[in-house]
Amino acid sequence: MDYKGDIYYIEQILAGNSNSFSYIVDRHKDKAYNLAFRICGNHEEAEELAQDSFLKAYRSLKSFKMKSSFATWLYRIIYNTAISHIRIKKKGVLSLEDFPADATDFIGSSTSDEEAEKEYRSSLVNFALQKINEEERVLISLYYYEDMNIEEISDVTGMNKSNIKVKLFRARQKMFEIIEKVEKKNLIYHE
Amino acid sequence: MNNREKINDDLLRQYISPEKIEKAPEGFTSKVMTRVQLETRALILAEKSWKKNLVPAISAAITILLIASAFLIPGSQSDAFANPVLSLFKNLNFSMPEIKLTSIFRVTLPSVVMYVFIGIIILTLFDRALNRIFHREK
Repeated sequence: MDYKGDIYYIEQILAGNSNSFSYIVDRHKDKAYNLAFRICGNHEEAEELAQDSFLKAYRSLKSFKMKSSFATWLYRIIYNTAISHIRIKKKGVLSLEDFPADATDFIGSSTSDEEAEKEYRSSLVNFALQKINEEERVLISLYYYEDMNIEEISDVTGMNKSNIKVKLFRARQKMFEIIEKVEKKNLIYHE
Repeated sequence: MNNREKINDDLLRQYISPEKIEKAPEGFTSKVMTRVQLETRALILAEKSWKKNLVPAISAAITILLIASAFLIPGSQSDAFANPVLSLFKNLNFSMPEIKLTSIFRVTLPSVVMYVFIGIIILTLFDRALNRIFHREK
């Protein structure tokens, strides 16, 4: 079935047809889940977080002004839910030792060297993401994974543009330092 | 973006493969919809119980008000607030026409009994009407 647009289904829900919400969930679930996963770093929490965010969106659908896109509004809900969730459930700090030094750990089900390399890099980035603070993590996720521009990120997070640029710059640097350290450590391990 | 930032940005993009998007697990939509349905049902139930409790709540409020006024309105007539109310009740003259029951039941009952019966019937009808309004299914 063709997707008729967020606004169409929102109007249907507001008119009393709650089942229309399933079309919206189906449409946005992957992006919502992906963002939640980048922020909290594990699949169980990401699913819980994404589900909670959809439920919050459903509850407050009446307050959605349609000034921004539904996706931006949903991201804002995920952002707020995730930040408060993380602040309540502050995790212990990961040490560099937590990242497996043996690259064969990433081969797993990968069929080629290229795929294994991708897996390795992806895990390394995820590891680095978990080492920076939650705000920076959200910014990196929105900018690189969701491919949002600074203005869109500002809509989601409520931060001003120059603040976002500064935080993104710092987050990038921190991530690079972590990635470099891990790679150096792995190099020593393999020598 | 300055040069250093650009280099960092490019390097990070090399690490982040955009195709590596984490997909929502199987059955995600149905799980969300189950929670939505539960929420909707809970809201309907809450609304129903609010309507159901409205009549008893109003009755309770009126009863409390009457009991409170019985305590608060003083016996003496010197109180400025109570005076008009008390004088209103004092000046009320009930003139109930006498209904002759002896011709029907061959017993003598005080005429007020008839009014009590009529009052009960009116209150019963009123209660049924309210019941239909507040317990109407959607």
